[in-house]
Amino acid sequence: MRIGMPHMGNLYIPFKALFQRLDIDFVIPPFNNQRTLSLGVRHSPEGMCIPFKLTLGNLIEAAELGADTLLMPAGSGICRLGYYAKTQQLVLNDLGYNAEIVCVGFSQRKLLGLLETIKHLSNNAPWSNIISAFRFGLAKLNALDRIERAVQKIRPIEKVKGTADVLLTKAVKAIDQADDNNTLKRVESDYTSQLSQVTKEETRPLVVGIMGEFYVLLEPFSNLDIEKELGRLGVEVRRTTFVSEWTKFSLFLNPLGVNEKEQLHKAALPYLKRDIGGDGWESVGEKVLHAKEYDGLVHLAPFTCMPEIVAQNIMSKTKENIPVLTILCDEQLGKSGMLTRLEAFVDLLGHRRRAKNKERVISNL
Amino acid sequence: MIKVGIPRALLYYQYYPMLKTFFEGLGAEVVVSPPTTRTMLASGASRVVADTCLPVKVFCGHILALVGECDYIFIPALRSVKKRIYNCSKFLGLPDMTRAVIPESPSILDIDIDINKGKLKFYQAIYKLGRRFTWNPLKIRQAAIAAWQAHLEYRELMSSHGLTPPQAIDSVKPQTPSDQATIAIVGHPYLLYDEQINHRLIHRLEQANYRVLTPEMLTQQQLESAITGLVGRPYWTYEEEVVGAGGHYLESEVDGVIGIMAFGCGPDSLMMDLVRRQAARLRKSSFMCLTLEEHTAEAGIATRLEAFLDMIKRRKKKGAEVCV
Repeated sequence: MRIGMPHMGNLYIPFKALFQRLDIDFVIPPFNNQRTLSLGVRHSPEGMCIPFKLTLGNLIEAAELGADTLLMPAGSGICRLGYYAKTQQLVLNDLGYNAEIVCVGFSQRKLLGLLETIKHLSNNAPWSNIISAFRFGLAKLNALDRIERAVQKIRPIEKVKGTADVLLTKAVKAIDQADDNNTLKRVESDYTSQLSQVTKEETRPLVVGIMGEFYVLLEPFSNLDIEKELGRLGVEVRRTTFVSEWTKFSLFLNPLGVNEKEQLHKAALPYLKRDIGGDGWESVGEKVLHAKEYDGLVHLAPFTCMPEIVAQNIMSKTKENIPVLTILCDEQLGKSGMLTRLEAFVDLLGHRRRAKNKERVISNL
Repeated sequence: MIKVGIPRALLYYQYYPMLKTFFEGLGAEVVVSPPTTRTMLASGASRVVADTCLPVKVFCGHILALVGECDYIFIPALRSVKKRIYNCSKFLGLPDMTRAVIPESPSILDIDIDINKGKLKFYQAIYKLGRRFTWNPLKIRQAAIAAWQAHLEYRELMSSHGLTPPQAIDSVKPQTPSDQATIAIVGHPYLLYDEQINHRLIHRLEQANYRVLTPEMLTQQQLESAITGLVGRPYWTYEEEVVGAGGHYLESEVDGVIGIMAFGCGPDSLMMDLVRRQAARLRKSSFMCLTLEEHTAEAGIATRLEAFLDMIKRRKKKGAEVCV
């Protein structure tokens, strides 16, 4: 049995750590590239969303490398995600690969379901090994996300543009190579201190919240590195969605009754009273909640994403006034088009902030 | 008398007789928006973001047509009608979205329909809705039971007499089946029976002397067994109309199957693909999929339909293999 799985950001690193510790044979498909996208687009139904197309491309490329057991997340979320695996299995069969898709369901059994799947994949390894490997994977995931958060803050204010990103690339590589907890801790603190030593400018950058659909937020290939680009334009990006946050809550805390999204849902209530599947409810909540706090919001959604279209319709009509730039991601999204829109948006935010400051000065007089 | 508006879009074709019976049982008058027109579509489309799907744009047009015509508009948030089978996000967010994009709309009667939460919650929701019209719980109960009865009769009428929903609603006399060639059309009723957006597809087929079969003419058992055969457990609420009907008709002796879907429809992008794959696998009857959107031109539909029918005719004459 050889395992393959689709990419989403740096998610392959924690999984690699997990599989290596449990001696599971696995392949990492090539990182998302033009070929992945073309493969996905060619073999997908035409109206499908970009997460489906890219993950399908990954699965095909993993199957090409000999993977026969493919992991796909599946949940009875109310969007198309629950149907992904079924359709992707059909496509793989029609293409002549005899790889089997194993659904990793999170919605019903939460942590237990995931651990049981891992036990099954590892050929019944003892629970102690599974748990220690799982914890090691989680530690890597958390370390990666902490570094990424630090980089988000430094990007807009670093003196030499690109310094933080170089460090990020190095840090990701080092975290990937760390093979025990101590090395991991050392690597993380090492890079955190290096990041804090980057020379910075004394400015207060524009703050833009970035929100929307889970996959396009977390897979830089699908959003054409939007965070990096915003950072280059001198904008501090804030994002609430991180895989480590998601695991923390949806695997451990939600079953205990703690719901991190409650605040967002409450904020959205005057405009949207119910869960509409996917991340639609949260998107509306983010706008209402952060209207005062941020200078602007970038809303990312895959083209034809059902929940996000509803959210977009509602968001544009809320009382809370904050500029929102919706960017729909699909295979037709071009880098220069996106950059032009981002530049215009950032200009607008800058004007707005200056106008606001002027108002404040006048009212103080 | 209180007037309740029901837009002639989305859920209308499935549930109109039920809703009419329910609201009339509560002593309200039911107002239905007129059939879709070009202007209605345009006015609806102008209210929502461009990526919204055609049926929802049409729906907004109908709401706008009802402004000033009624006291309430009934827009349910239909989440699930069977356990662990969910609906498209657009149906779930329909009341909230309408409130946001059409602020001038008459006040909206929304009701959460979610069978997953148990029957009790469902009954409570109906009761809460009924309380807007009467204080008497018995009257609400009676109206609800009568409504359910009307719904069952409506389904029965369509499946046993081979009627389409508009025919059943207007109580048109059923035709005696003849030995004409048959074409089955599969898709959601709000696409199949809205003559404005599908450019009178059924009428065109009948003009060409074909007998038209629709998903509603099948019984629940037929639809369910076709779904089980094709995908196992259904995932979407209206999977029957596409995968169920498509799966059934492809196995039966019809001459052709036409799938109708809206551009950008999430569930259909997957379900119609499943039907297409099945058609290619079986090679029993010809299959064509038409994607509708605001810009779909009448001439385009007519041309594709003609070509499809010609192909079927020629194939019959020659006894050649099926094209998909």
